[in-house]
Amino acid sequence: MLQYILKRILIFIPTLIAITLLGFIISVNAPGNPEERMVTSAQGNGETGAQSLGQIQEKKRWRTKLGLDLPVFYFSLTSLSRPDTLYKIDDRNEKEALDRLISKYGNWENIQAYHISLSKYYAAQLLFVADTNQLKQYDKNAVLETINQLKFEVSALKASYEPAIINAKMDKVSVLLSSYPFLSSFKSDFEKVKIDYLAIEKNATAWKNYIPRIAFYGFKNQYHRWLFGDGGKFSKGLLLHGDFGTSYVTRQPISDVIYSKIGWSLFFSMLSVVLAYVISIPIGVRAAAKRGSRFDRYSSVILFLLYSMPSFWLATLLIMTFANTDALSWLPASGVKPALGYPDGASLWEMIKISFPYIILPAICYTYSSFAFLSRTMRVSMLDVVNQDYIRTARAKGLPESKVIWKHGLRNALLPIITVFANVFPAAIGGSVIIESIFTIPGMGSETIYAIQNNNYPMIIAVLTITGFLTLLGYLISDILYAIVDPRISYK
Amino acid sequence: MMEEQKENILISDSCHFERSREVNLKKIAWKQFKKNKPAYFSFKILIVLIVLALISPIIATDQPLYCKYKGVNMFPAFSFSNSCEIKNEDGSVEILQYDIAEWKYLDATTIIFAPIAYAPNKTDYDNADYVAPNGKQVFKDKSGNLVEMPTKFRHWLGTGKAGEDVLSGLINGTRVSLLIGILSMTIASFLGIFLGAIAGYFGDKKLQTTRGSFWTMVIGLVFAYYYGFSVRSYNIADAFATSGFAVLTQLIISLIIFSFVSFLFYLLGKQIGKISFLSTRVFIPVDSIVSRTIEILISMPLLILIISISAIAKEKSMINLMVIIGLTTWTGIARLTRAEFLRITNLEYIQAAKSMGFKEFHIMFKHALPNALAPAMVAIAFGVASAILIESSLSFLGVGVPPSTVTWGSLLNAGREQFSAWWLVVFPGLAIFLTVTIYNLLGEGLRDALDPKLKK
Repeated sequence: MLQYILKRILIFIPTLIAITLLGFIISVNAPGNPEERMVTSAQGNGETGAQSLGQIQEKKRWRTKLGLDLPVFYFSLTSLSRPDTLYKIDDRNEKEALDRLISKYGNWENIQAYHISLSKYYAAQLLFVADTNQLKQYDKNAVLETINQLKFEVSALKASYEPAIINAKMDKVSVLLSSYPFLSSFKSDFEKVKIDYLAIEKNATAWKNYIPRIAFYGFKNQYHRWLFGDGGKFSKGLLLHGDFGTSYVTRQPISDVIYSKIGWSLFFSMLSVVLAYVISIPIGVRAAAKRGSRFDRYSSVILFLLYSMPSFWLATLLIMTFANTDALSWLPASGVKPALGYPDGASLWEMIKISFPYIILPAICYTYSSFAFLSRTMRVSMLDVVNQDYIRTARAKGLPESKVIWKHGLRNALLPIITVFANVFPAAIGGSVIIESIFTIPGMGSETIYAIQNNNYPMIIAVLTITGFLTLLGYLISDILYAIVDPRISYK
Repeated sequence: MMEEQKENILISDSCHFERSREVNLKKIAWKQFKKNKPAYFSFKILIVLIVLALISPIIATDQPLYCKYKGVNMFPAFSFSNSCEIKNEDGSVEILQYDIAEWKYLDATTIIFAPIAYAPNKTDYDNADYVAPNGKQVFKDKSGNLVEMPTKFRHWLGTGKAGEDVLSGLINGTRVSLLIGILSMTIASFLGIFLGAIAGYFGDKKLQTTRGSFWTMVIGLVFAYYYGFSVRSYNIADAFATSGFAVLTQLIISLIIFSFVSFLFYLLGKQIGKISFLSTRVFIPVDSIVSRTIEILISMPLLILIISISAIAKEKSMINLMVIIGLTTWTGIARLTRAEFLRITNLEYIQAAKSMGFKEFHIMFKHALPNALAPAMVAIAFGVASAILIESSLSFLGVGVPPSTVTWGSLLNAGREQFSAWWLVVFPGLAIFLTVTIYNLLGEGLRDALDPKLKK
């Protein structure tokens, strides 16, 4: 047995790594720009397009802190035309523009030269402050407008890759540059950018894109850092210390968010599992024991309908009926406690008493689908058992029917229900996304939906990984339980 | 020679039965299925739903079926073009745009409206702010006075916040739901049946190849992925920004390149495998690979996985959602098919086919698969139900689906804002419930019909 468990745990590890990889792939491809989010969530709202130097520095800081300045994985499948260092470029759009240029022209040397001269030009323009003497001759607002427009056009140019758009933007910049004489100092710099761009088209080596190459980056990469941390400087690492990174929304550590939210989800899923087992076993057994009776027929139909009932519909109907001021206003519609919180110094018992009406409706929604499923499974497995010889023997030796069913039958009929245990657990967590968001329960489900709506990917991956881990654990436990209930099963 | 032998065996086999009592499994299953009243009844309802979904653009639209205007005959609801030029008597040209024309106020000679003369996402401001099905509905007549709603324009199931017709939304939502269910399960069944079949048939110790061939194939798959997907990544990404059709085309091109390159490497591997050192036989652990993949997928919360994958796609579209649901829900089908194949592989007739020298894939798909399909079919029927549930949950939550598409879930979600508008909660929910129940009943009926042993 112990050997079997050890073996199972060994198989665990590659599966778990695959789960983390899947989550990681999703997060890397996720839309949005994390460091931009961090900066804007810190400062309220940030300008897009032209950015101040302070903002750029702040972004750099966040990039290092989140590890976004590292390559994504240990290695990558790239082409001969691509450099190993493209990940170092800060801006996502710029990176994509460069990558698209490479995939079109394939000559990194020229593209790099173009990018460098463009960046230099952009930096010079950011620093440029119009001399007040020069401004006197012209309308001040018009000059500022032109300079802002220039900044905007150039930053847009950095993120462009279509030849038509690049040419149009370049023409526009040229026109803008010649609108005031004091801007002419930039002209020669900009001419260089233009020449560099023309060189890309002239020296195109697109064939290089068709030769694959594997680039190795070593241990300094985002995935490795996510798993093992960076030695405690910014993050402690996922597997070793339970550090899932920083929330993009609140900038809190993800693990803190999870600790503060998991309580209610755990409470509801535990409650629903217990309730479902307590209700479904007697129903299933009774229906099977009196097969074809009125109870069997009616319960079958009702269970089947419940099983097909969408949980969000039932939840909405329940709220509409029992928590609606127009209909029956018996129960509160959302939350788990009064808006003002519990009174000061309330004991646990008082807290339970206050929260009880809030819990009824969500608990019904949490429970009914797994309970319907379990009852049906219970009935089927009990029917299997009732027709077996040993049950006939038990009856023949004169045992009362209740003892035959509940003592001799149930123990063997429980087997399938135990395997189901592993499926009920993740279902409680996955299904809770909907129910928690309908009843606004401050649990993991609402938090996940909130994270998805806000592209808070560290949170989503944490949820995926933890649930994956718990599910695997559930399978392991159900296998062990299986062996305990049925001594015939041995794992060799 | 071999074909002849096979036929002889078949003939001598069937000679045991008299012609009139020939056993036709499909017929027996169909008879069994028909006996199951609820399942047969839901089969009939399903056909009605499919017909409804197919004709929904004609029966629930604001564009008239037929319209005669200034001497021009038009069939806007049936037409693919979106506008019609009408020459006035004074020679000027009037362009009638089908989707934005005010048909109800058009001075037409004859006009025949669809039975439900509203489009699902168009607004009727005169009846905005949740008008009940039995409530007072008004209609602005041509002179601008508000009068009692004529019967042909009534909102039979009420309206939403901005005056959207609920019935029209429901009928058009049928199409979305059935499409999602059927297409995503088509993807899932191809994947699930194929992977389950090879996993169950070959196991870990049956698919042999030479060492050279194996490693050439591994490298070949990397190359195939590179030329099929890496090189073309921006073509595919751009297609996602345009339309579902473009995505499909690009993916098919990529898949063709992928298969072509892998095939080249397969041929190369055959040659390399002849070299003495590389000709050692190795086993490909198909079963382990497939089983581990299934384990990974089922250990993740399905809904969260689907939402987070669909959040990656820049453009939200129903096609994306179908593909994502298909790619994540094949595990159940694969597990059942695998188990069935494990059983069938050891039966005598498969051994016989092997001894006659048929190719492995021929035995797998021609001989074993027809007998292994029954559990997969049941899983598919249940799978359609769960795909519909997933789609409606997503549109209910408002994540991962295009906001402009009117679906049952989005209608139900709109009802949450105003509980006094019970028709927005009851009818769409009932539609989802009904469809899911139908598919579940169908699944049960199929199970009983195809495998009478399991009947309880």
